[in-house]
Amino acid sequence: MKTIRSGRSGSPAYRICLQNLRIFIEGAWLSYVALFRWLSPSAYIAAKVAMPLSQMIFFTLLGMYAGRAQGPEFFFVGNSVHVAAVSGIFGVTMSVSGERNSGTLSYLIGAPANRLIVFVGRAFFHIFDGIIGAGIGMIWGLIILPVNFPDAKPVGIALAILAAAMSSSALGLILGCLGLLTRNIWFVNNTVYFLLLFLCGSNVPIDNFPPWLQVISRMLPLTRSILSARMSFDGAALNSVMPELMIETTLGMGYMLVGYALFRAIEVRARSAGSLEAI
Amino acid sequence: MNKARQRHPREHTWRNAPVIFEVARATFLRNVFDAFIVFVVLIQPLIIALIAIWMLRGGEEGDTIFVVVGSGMSGLWSSLLFITGGSLSWERSRGTLEMIVGSPSPLWVIVTGKIFAQVAQSAVSMFVAYVAASIVFRQPLTIALPGWFGASLLATLLGFVSFGLVIAPFFLLNPAIQVWNNGLEFPVYILAGFLFPVALLPKWTNPLSWMLAPYWAARALHSAAQGKDMSHILFSIMMLFLVSILHIYISRFLFRKVLKKARVDATLGYQ
Repeated sequence: MKTIRSGRSGSPAYRICLQNLRIFIEGAWLSYVALFRWLSPSAYIAAKVAMPLSQMIFFTLLGMYAGRAQGPEFFFVGNSVHVAAVSGIFGVTMSVSGERNSGTLSYLIGAPANRLIVFVGRAFFHIFDGIIGAGIGMIWGLIILPVNFPDAKPVGIALAILAAAMSSSALGLILGCLGLLTRNIWFVNNTVYFLLLFLCGSNVPIDNFPPWLQVISRMLPLTRSILSARMSFDGAALNSVMPELMIETTLGMGYMLVGYALFRAIEVRARSAGSLEAI
Repeated sequence: MNKARQRHPREHTWRNAPVIFEVARATFLRNVFDAFIVFVVLIQPLIIALIAIWMLRGGEEGDTIFVVVGSGMSGLWSSLLFITGGSLSWERSRGTLEMIVGSPSPLWVIVTGKIFAQVAQSAVSMFVAYVAASIVFRQPLTIALPGWFGASLLATLLGFVSFGLVIAPFFLLNPAIQVWNNGLEFPVYILAGFLFPVALLPKWTNPLSWMLAPYWAARALHSAAQGKDMSHILFSIMMLFLVSILHIYISRFLFRKVLKKARVDATLGYQ
């Protein structure tokens, strides 16, 4: 064992991989923990239980009042999956843009670490956090709300939540980059979060939108994962929701690459203009 | 000497009016271009109105005006919650909260000025929701009893100021209270019946609604907008005044208790 390890550690490619993995995990964990410096049981309950649950109850009751074709199940699923975006949008945005506010951006830029690893690492733990958040919201909703899913397929639902957490975190990376350019990032990420509530089919079936709005809706994260979650709750087989989930994941990768390109562009501009710490 | 004569001059509300006015003016000027406040006052109610309108599409006009009024009120409450707490946290983060508490004017006077500015600014939400709904539906939305609606709106603004005075002291206790902002936003939307009647809620929640000024405000505004019976509107306005007075008394008590605790625990400058 010792011989094999020492033999492998001699390979530069292996060492680089190991180093990058360490930077990825450590960087991801530290940025996550640093963001939650206020983390306490009450703060976590407020952000992860009270807010998502109350949002879910509000829209479900509003849907019941509207009394249209959709039952409370429609709003429960839409809003519980949407909860994953709380971590994806707010958490990731603050992880990236917080570097500038905390005065650590210059150290990050000056470090010899792989940029893509560092950048993507900012979203890593928020994906898990989003999954947990959506799971908590779902459990509470199932307990409190008048919903019934006799044919639900748990694997499809879990994959839909994973896809939602990934794609919304990828969008969060773009928003985080915008946070490096503007002081008003709370305006930007709150607006995006609420627009997603409107456009992703959480509360309004996207078929009800005019065609141009449907096109926009289908290009956004969450739309397809919410659709897949609804199908899975209704008992659809995994192979029938996989195409939508694959597209959602691909969209998420696209968003992540756009975010990374934006991050690099901002880095180049900041270096040449000497505006690294300028907000 | 009777008890009234023994009160400190600064306790007389009318003498504090110039302070309230000046604080309100300064707060308004500081807030008017703040992007987050623009979001809370304009963008969020607009999106909530769009969601609700789309959900109610195909319904009657009465539903639409209900949504318009309700989403405007959601803007009032969100701004009250986020900006009242936010402004006290802002003072804390800049180290000026201790100075404000130590100034000759009572803290509740300064907070009242801040809340007046925020409530006045967020009253715009109602107008924005109205215009947005008109554009989406491409038809004029009628307020059945405009006179009563105006009276209800004035009473609503006073009710929200009094409610703001109840929640403000909690933000003085500890900065960690602010994280509960997000958790408190939707429950009041629900309990006050901004966008759907509280009849949808379980009966045991009704007393909670009755204790909230926003509930009576929503009842008065919805009734006036939909042209309900005048006695119904009048009753709601009277209850709103009654609850507001109760809120003010509770807030005076809370301010005293919380300030004492914050001084003893030395948490006013705590970040």
